[in-house]
Amino acid sequence: MTRTKRDVVIAGYSETAIDFKTGRSAYDLGGEAFAKLLAATGIAKDAIDGLSVTAPLSECPNPFFAVYMTEALGMTPTWLNYGGTGGCSATGGVARAASAIRDGHCEVAVVLSADAPSTAWRANYGAYRSEFQDPPGVQGPPATFGLLMSRYDHRFGIKPEALGKIAITQRQHALHNENAYAKFKTPITMADYEKSRVIADPLRLLDCVMFCDGANAFLVTTEERARGLGITKMVYPTAYAEVTNFNGNQPLAEITETGFSQVAPRVYKQSGLTPKDIRMFQPYDDFTIAVMMKFEDFGFCKRGQGSDFTLDTDLSYKGALPLNTGGGQISAGQPGLASGGLNLAEAVRQMFGEGGGRQVASPNNALVTGIGVIPYARNWGISAAMILEA
Amino acid sequence: MADEKAGRSVPKPSVYVDTAPFWEGAKAGKLVLQFCKDTKQFQHYPRPVSIYTGSRNLEWRQVSGKGTIYACTVIRVPGPGLEGRLPLSVATVLLDEGVRILGNILNVDPGAVAIGKRVELTWDRLSDEVQYPAFQLV
Repeated sequence: MTRTKRDVVIAGYSETAIDFKTGRSAYDLGGEAFAKLLAATGIAKDAIDGLSVTAPLSECPNPFFAVYMTEALGMTPTWLNYGGTGGCSATGGVARAASAIRDGHCEVAVVLSADAPSTAWRANYGAYRSEFQDPPGVQGPPATFGLLMSRYDHRFGIKPEALGKIAITQRQHALHNENAYAKFKTPITMADYEKSRVIADPLRLLDCVMFCDGANAFLVTTEERARGLGITKMVYPTAYAEVTNFNGNQPLAEITETGFSQVAPRVYKQSGLTPKDIRMFQPYDDFTIAVMMKFEDFGFCKRGQGSDFTLDTDLSYKGALPLNTGGGQISAGQPGLASGGLNLAEAVRQMFGEGGGRQVASPNNALVTGIGVIPYARNWGISAAMILEA
Repeated sequence: MADEKAGRSVPKPSVYVDTAPFWEGAKAGKLVLQFCKDTKQFQHYPRPVSIYTGSRNLEWRQVSGKGTIYACTVIRVPGPGLEGRLPLSVATVLLDEGVRILGNILNVDPGAVAIGKRVELTWDRLSDEVQYPAFQLV
């Protein structure tokens, strides 16, 4: 346990409401999250000398979005990071900010993620897609996840009611989340899940996220500096690991083996925690199957037992393993590539004791994950995980 | 049939690496994929280097088009380029030469497609001049 890093902290968080087709830009949403972060932490803007910005779908044609954001916010950072790891950019931004702080590039950093793809989708992935992915009709993540689910089902079996339980549990949590997309604040039943439209067999509508608009921000600094700024609420990111293009030189590797199989042991080793020590799980949830597969990768159950584990475990905020207690992206709405910050914000909120009607008791740690990019006929491009401790 | 295909877009070849052999092969009814000469392994989609070694010691070789379904789904919701194609059977096919490729399974009720089934090459017509590799159950 002596190896655990406790010098750098997340000393504040903020989040905008998640909404659909707001007509607003990532700058405007990011500015709102930034102003809220200043208000929440009580620090002056000019105390901030580091900034990590997530590349958004809605502004990605501008390669200088991060620089433009510093102008929009009136900031003069001595450390700037532009995060291109999609849903891993928030946790990854915190980890990179911690490294920058330890290296002396800055002292007080903001990790800012804002996106508005439901208002303005401007991404064009280019590359091989027009020649090799679009012709067979594999245009978005659902088809790739349908393929992944078919493979998982073939190897281990999927109990649909387990995926339904994940969707229902997270929807129940979203009811208590004031930032969740308003149209999702209606409970759903197993019958609703079973009746929901099949998108790409066996993937159903209620297994999926929906693109929305929104933003979030985190304050990262040393504990010493945070206390000097008068901040009293903070959490310690004691572990972080990521891997990109897992099995990248092994195109015949089993696609149900994911980067989390490598990331999970690394974050457990860094933190000294074990699966049974994890107080809450805030996994990146683009699709329910990704949540279920992570139960396995993070050792909450054995490989292939995700369905039974899901059905046998109380995943509510009062339960044995509270799951995405703000509703996750599936039931709060996915704010484009700011999405990874949604799961992270909920973890920090819970650990600050600000969970309101969904507060987890004794919130002494949280495991948060990120997923980025859907590759050609595999699972996902980037896997990241962070452990926060009180 | 012509009306159904009206919405198909025809990809521009070689937009990110030289893929001319793939498209010329397709025109001749041959499935031609990228091959690493150092490790004697195929790779697909085509890359600027061998994903096994990082070298550019690559060539293009014809494959049989025979293989086994590795993963499969049925796309059921409309989208760009999907007009008149739904429900659309999509599979990851493991070719006998040891390389995976995404492709449609044509001429079949999507319900009959399953992991482990054998497939062979067929062609999906994108336009009067351009055909694209697809598969059908053996």
